[in-house]
Amino acid sequence: MVSAGVVRGDTPLPDDRVAHPAVRAGLAVAEVYKRVVTGPLEPMLARSRPVRRTGFEREVVVAEITPVADDVVSLTLRCPGGGELTAWQPGSHLDVVLPSGRQRQYSLCGDPSDRRSYRIAVRRLADGGGGSREIHDDLEVGDVITIRGPRNAFRLAEASAYFFVAGGIGITPILPMVQAAEASGRPWTLVYTGRSRASMPFLDGLATLRGGALDVRPDDECGIPDLDEILADVPRGHAVYVCGPPAMLDTARTRLAAPDFEVHSERFSAPPVIGGEAFDVELRRSGVTIPVAADQSVLAAVRDQVPDLAYSCQQGFCGTCVVKVVDGDVEHRDRALLDSEREDSMLICVSRCSGPLVLDL
Amino acid sequence: MAKKTAAKTPYTQEAHVIGPRDVEFDWSDVPLHYIPGEPFATQFWNIMHLAIPLGEKMMAGCLAEALPYIEDPRLREEAVGFIGQESMHAASHESYHEHLAAEGIDIEPVVRNLETLLQVFLGDHQLKGRAKEVWLKERLAFFAAAEHFTAVVGQWMLEAEAWDEVGMHPMMKDLLRWHGAEEVEHRNVLFDVYQHVDGSYSRRVRMSVVASLGLFASWMITADYLMRQDPTSRWWKPWPVQMLNSVRKRLLPGPWFFVGELPSYLRPGFHPSQMGSLDAAIAYLATSPAARAAEQR
Repeated sequence: MVSAGVVRGDTPLPDDRVAHPAVRAGLAVAEVYKRVVTGPLEPMLARSRPVRRTGFEREVVVAEITPVADDVVSLTLRCPGGGELTAWQPGSHLDVVLPSGRQRQYSLCGDPSDRRSYRIAVRRLADGGGGSREIHDDLEVGDVITIRGPRNAFRLAEASAYFFVAGGIGITPILPMVQAAEASGRPWTLVYTGRSRASMPFLDGLATLRGGALDVRPDDECGIPDLDEILADVPRGHAVYVCGPPAMLDTARTRLAAPDFEVHSERFSAPPVIGGEAFDVELRRSGVTIPVAADQSVLAAVRDQVPDLAYSCQQGFCGTCVVKVVDGDVEHRDRALLDSEREDSMLICVSRCSGPLVLDL
Repeated sequence: MAKKTAAKTPYTQEAHVIGPRDVEFDWSDVPLHYIPGEPFATQFWNIMHLAIPLGEKMMAGCLAEALPYIEDPRLREEAVGFIGQESMHAASHESYHEHLAAEGIDIEPVVRNLETLLQVFLGDHQLKGRAKEVWLKERLAFFAAAEHFTAVVGQWMLEAEAWDEVGMHPMMKDLLRWHGAEEVEHRNVLFDVYQHVDGSYSRRVRMSVVASLGLFASWMITADYLMRQDPTSRWWKPWPVQMLNSVRKRLLPGPWFFVGELPSYLRPGFHPSQMGSLDAAIAYLATSPAARAAEQR
């Protein structure tokens, strides 16, 4: 039995002589089918009509830059020649590629029914990687930037009532959700925390909504929020949506346990490489050697060389990117392989090597 | 493989992010008949544990083979997420094998025969050149049809209130519904990859007929095999009668859906997104003990 990973073309086939007669008969028919459809008659048996889609990656122009709170600006993005953008729903985000090449993800916080513009809001992070500073300091109205998306990892699903919790700039995906709940007439509660009212965007707009309960808790008025106390009030049957700092998410997930509570939070992609050292990887079958940087995974380093390389979670649990190791002292960081599999295989999305690595690729 | 004349249409709707969840299941206190008093319904779902691991790994392998032909960055992202979800489905269902064997079911012959059937029929056969490409398209067409059935069953599982009423074991119920919800979540991916790489209607028709008849036949043959091993098996209680009873109690979908679903799948202009909202799947994943525990790992 094949355990981790995927079954590929070079996976050894089982011996069909030990199969049940019905299986052997089925396979004999399948063999005839395969010969006919891949044979000279193929063009008569199928006519390719590939369907290609466009618009996932596109250029947009920065139409407006508006301060919406202390250290927070909102950006309005439009198609350079006007025209409609891809539709989105609350919870959706964009990849934004800045002129410097920096790439960041921001939640859409505008009106989903406005098909001609997107709005994002960005807080200046003094200790971030420079993406928010570039937006605050360098980006100007009229600049053209590239976006990918919209892509939803935090979909607002139909529910009879909603309980929203937003911490700071975490209000951005929650705002359109609250507006959607208001528009659908479903009861909602929003607990919105932040340092001070001046630092919390969209308070004025939220205050005009009448269909739900708004609970604004700035630290300088209410003290540091006690999440345990806030979440103790969540009624059964309310769908909970949380966006904020990691500690807030942890508390919400622990406090509101499944399956009694429905708790939604945004799904994030792979975390960065921590505590890695640089090394070289030799791809034996391809005959090339590629350097792997200290903050780079083997997968990221070899992906371009091996276009049909299967991978997925990039966190070492799904087992898809398992590769046979020819030589090397592998430091296994996955949680998918058995010890017996680790003797000659590794998951190249997370595991590393002290010294040169040779892979059967 | 792309024709230069491929029709280009813009995306009108946002992408839904598809990604694997780091789930784990503990089978230690799951009884042989995890749907209490329902041997047939239990064995019917056991077929998934036996057929899914290899089937989904093959599907993931086939999709990985198609990756170099996917030029659309959105579809590529979806395909990458799909591969991981299918690998987790495979590993999770496989984790039940040992428990099933310990309960006295000899699963080895079924696994061996399914493995031979799937791997020989749907393998890449080391073909070269044009034949290799054509065979990849055929397999994508097969798996796209199979994914339609899993999406239909997935939706069915999310709505199977009878499971709650009869007291199905919560761990198994969560495995099946988590799996079903992810099948709904990624229902469009193989269809879109097939349309992107080939899109031939005649190939879609013939491979969906192969998939529906093949799945129906293997399901019934395996059910027969498992029921003959079930400790409650008696000659005066034929399983087809039990099956009709279980269908009537809504503990499983009528297996004839394998054929009954064909007309809607084969309607020109069909797209999996027309099957209804993703909301039930998303809401389930937010309450699933396994999916929620995965977030905290």
